[in-house]
Amino acid sequence: MTDASHIPAGESLERIQCQWCQSMNEKTALACRACGAPLDIRDLVSESGWREAPRIRDMTEIHFSASTCQVEGEIVPAAEINLGPGDSIFFEHHVMLWKDENVPMTILQLAGGMKRAFAGMPFIISVATGPGRIAFSRDATGELVVLPLHPGMELDVREHAFLLSSHQIAYSFVRIKGLANILFGGQGMYMDRFVTTGVPGLLILHGYGNVFERRLRPGESIMVEPGAFLYKDSTVTMQVEFQRLGSGFFGGTNMSLARMTGPGRVGIQSMYVHHHTE
Amino acid sequence: MFCVNCGARVTEGGSFCVACGSHVKHEAPPAAEQPAPRAAVVHTATKCAWCGAAIDGAAIDRDLTSCPRCGAAPGLEGGVTRSGWAELPGRKDMAKLQFGNSFCQIEGTYVPVADMNLAPEDSVYFAHHVLLWKDTGVNITTMPLRGAWKRLFAGMPLIMTQAQGPGHIAFSRDAPGELIPVPLQPGQSLDVREHLFLAATGQVEYDWNQTNIWFRTRKGDDTETHYPVGMFMDRFSAPQTPGLLLLHAAGNVFVRDLGPRQTILVKPTALVFKDPAVQMHLHFERPSSMFSSWGYWSNRYLWLRLIGPGRVAVESVFERLEGEGGNISSFSYATETRW
Repeated sequence: MTDASHIPAGESLERIQCQWCQSMNEKTALACRACGAPLDIRDLVSESGWREAPRIRDMTEIHFSASTCQVEGEIVPAAEINLGPGDSIFFEHHVMLWKDENVPMTILQLAGGMKRAFAGMPFIISVATGPGRIAFSRDATGELVVLPLHPGMELDVREHAFLLSSHQIAYSFVRIKGLANILFGGQGMYMDRFVTTGVPGLLILHGYGNVFERRLRPGESIMVEPGAFLYKDSTVTMQVEFQRLGSGFFGGTNMSLARMTGPGRVGIQSMYVHHHTE
Repeated sequence: MFCVNCGARVTEGGSFCVACGSHVKHEAPPAAEQPAPRAAVVHTATKCAWCGAAIDGAAIDRDLTSCPRCGAAPGLEGGVTRSGWAELPGRKDMAKLQFGNSFCQIEGTYVPVADMNLAPEDSVYFAHHVLLWKDTGVNITTMPLRGAWKRLFAGMPLIMTQAQGPGHIAFSRDAPGELIPVPLQPGQSLDVREHLFLAATGQVEYDWNQTNIWFRTRKGDDTETHYPVGMFMDRFSAPQTPGLLLLHAAGNVFVRDLGPRQTILVKPTALVFKDPAVQMHLHFERPSSMFSSWGYWSNRYLWLRLIGPGRVAVESVFERLEGEGGNISSFSYATETRW
């Protein structure tokens, strides 16, 4: 979102570009208007090239279409949305923390959604429409990852890791066979896919522990523990590879690693909690 | 008061250094060490308050550095409680430590990641479930372990794997907590409660022992054996050359130094590590009156009694102790207090 329309005409032309989401901000801004990243703090990038997701200051406000989102708390941060009239957001039912009584809710119609279940409940994507307030959080220590999506962006996200998405973003999911099979004995793992249509939208994820992002060059690969995978650009390919550990009489075990190959961004979380998909 | 060997701060009256484990000599009058004002030492080389490594004083002035050996940030030393527990020192995000020609960067604060940049001649080993990511070129092999088939982690065989440089490899665990870098000096050993180990450099030797701490509970005809600190304890030592040991503990970590025959009671599941010289056994506490509502044999507190000399560390998040409320029929050596 390089859009700078929120900056009044006649103001100084000096702008600060957010290093996390590339949005333009007024030069006096302390946090990015579009993603909440602090603008006065140096980026934390490891020598191996992983950038730590920006730690959003408590009570930072983020703007998207006619709505705002305030990020509250630091250990298990909550995202509180103040929906503008006509704006809506969608989310999984288990992340809702509280809402105004009068915020209307509906359900997103999904192809194949009936087959997917979460924690014994049918997998349902709910939609809340403004005006009104509604807040979200997840079940463990972690970070909110705010990803403003520009038109033409496609992002693949680990199942159940998305907290909310604005209505401008199209949602679908694909089932990845093999990814979680060997690790967790399940039947596969779903991956949520977010695609922007003509207008920018906002996507907020929750990663367990700390979240790191790295941009892979075309053809560049990295091996990632499948449980640590959080999101990727759809241009990044993901392939599971196995390595047998231990041998002989006692059998040993298989270690599976996901080979992620660029070009594009890869996001990982430092702690993983796997929610089984039925 | 400061350790003569490594320069770390020592608990008043303590006989061992919390940081390096060496004996503290008491002959020097403590008053003589106090007057050096802070400003006078700022521009000279100084020592890390946690592990004793030398740090360039000028670099501290520029607010740029962390201790190269353990990652502690000068000026962010953890406090010492009035009861004598030293908190793990503060660490700046992305702090970098060096071992051999390799580096380890510690990234993140909730569930920190140890990101190793291995030189060609260096290696690290780790339990396979802590691997977070690696360069495609870094090879992983399994490590032969004496009697390793006895050891299980979450029902799976515990497999030690090693990675050889050059390249990057990173590790993390599955709970919010602290990453504890423990630089081991030649000849130094450390006993660690099982499953807290994250990774160690190739110079560190690994062995494990039975804890011999257990109790049995009986319910009807069924008896069950419980191991409050685990059936096994890991021992890490650096026989010849210095090595780096990385542990991960849940919540916050506190360390204290016990004098000879000094004791402390800790929650068995909260123990993180101890010096090999520290002895441990079970300890029961219960009311003396048979007729009180506490009068049953099973109504008591179950502690781990640690006996100095040496360092002990505990974590603030601990698992529930299994079998604690059961009817105990037999147990390993234990002491008892009635009140």
